[in-house]
Amino acid sequence: MPFNPVTYAIPVFVALILGELVWSRWAGDSRAYEWRDTGTSLAFGLGSTLAGALTGGLTAAMLVWMHDLSPLSVGWAWWAWPLCFVLDDLAYYWFHRSAHRVRWFWASHVNHHSSQHYNLSTALRQSWTGFVALSFVFRWPLALLGFEPGMILVCAGFNLIYQFWIHTEAVKRLPRWFEAVMNTPSHHRVHHAVNARYLDRNYAGTFIVWDRMFGTFAPEDDAERIRYGIVSQLGSFNLLYAVFHEWLGIARDVWRAPWRYKFDYIWREPGLEP
Amino acid sequence: MDSQLLQFLGSLAAVSALITLTYILGFRSTARLESEDEARELFRLAVGGFEPAEIALDADHAGAIARNAEGRLAVLVPHGNQFVVRCLDPTTAIEARDGQLLIAELPNLMITLGERSQGWATTDIDANNA
Repeated sequence: MPFNPVTYAIPVFVALILGELVWSRWAGDSRAYEWRDTGTSLAFGLGSTLAGALTGGLTAAMLVWMHDLSPLSVGWAWWAWPLCFVLDDLAYYWFHRSAHRVRWFWASHVNHHSSQHYNLSTALRQSWTGFVALSFVFRWPLALLGFEPGMILVCAGFNLIYQFWIHTEAVKRLPRWFEAVMNTPSHHRVHHAVNARYLDRNYAGTFIVWDRMFGTFAPEDDAERIRYGIVSQLGSFNLLYAVFHEWLGIARDVWRAPWRYKFDYIWREPGLEP
Repeated sequence: MDSQLLQFLGSLAAVSALITLTYILGFRSTARLESEDEARELFRLAVGGFEPAEIALDADHAGAIARNAEGRLAVLVPHGNQFVVRCLDPTTAIEARDGQLLIAELPNLMITLGERSQGWATTDIDANNA
């Protein structure tokens, strides 16, 4: 079985959620968590590991296939690791931006945003349908550039681990140099906000520099209280509804739309009006 | 036992423990609006935008109803310890009964407004006078 750093991080995730729970209780923030919401988020996380086990082999096989097609080969040189991590994070930025702007990709990624809470359990609210949504294609360019598939998957794992700790309201601001380069709790709170000024901002995974470069950065304004979730809030803790609601919405809209507009409900932005 | 199955069972046990702990630590309070200003802020998050011209808060601040300048109605529905804003269909029936608003499309929601409930009803039926 290939090395998956996320597997080894799970006990740390559990310990940090435990710490945040106790800290929130101690700070008197009774709205920080909600037990049914936490249950839904953690069930998402558990289910996503099963979905990953079912489709991970195919995802890896396609990366190997892309790598074999490429005339380039970077190999396992030490310098390839940081380069691969940075380029993987760039690929993540474009995956994430597409996941918010193309409904087919959003149908899967919406799972991560459907909690009205922003805490460490929200980080584990991972999609079950990422494979169906074709999210794996965004890492193909790295394989075509000659990076080893195993290296790409390990870097992707570390990227996911980095993104765990930024899902918290417990950390306000970090040193300026860190906020300038790295994705932080403050930047990612903006990303999860439904406040109009914050929509479709801060797509970064690890490095916030991509948002600054591509014009999608917005700083957190302490004067405006952030509200979390999705524009059309679910209003349900039902796990299966939370997993599949946007796919059902696509099916309903495509079914109802005239033929010339059917495709728009798949490839255009979410929330498209008839 | 297969290591992957063992890992799954371990994760399941950890998830169950965390949910239980969240409950025990008291993260099960019901939603409560702090003020009319908070309600206004939440109504503004409605899909497509909603600027309330008139707001009525539930007696226990456990919900609210609002009307915009065009006469469109929206409500704040408690969901866990948060609120969800729902714009009402213009044809939906809202009945005032014993000082409470009963909304046909949201049968689980009851907004207690007392005497003010009459001003929000869309049906002629008033249980107080029936």
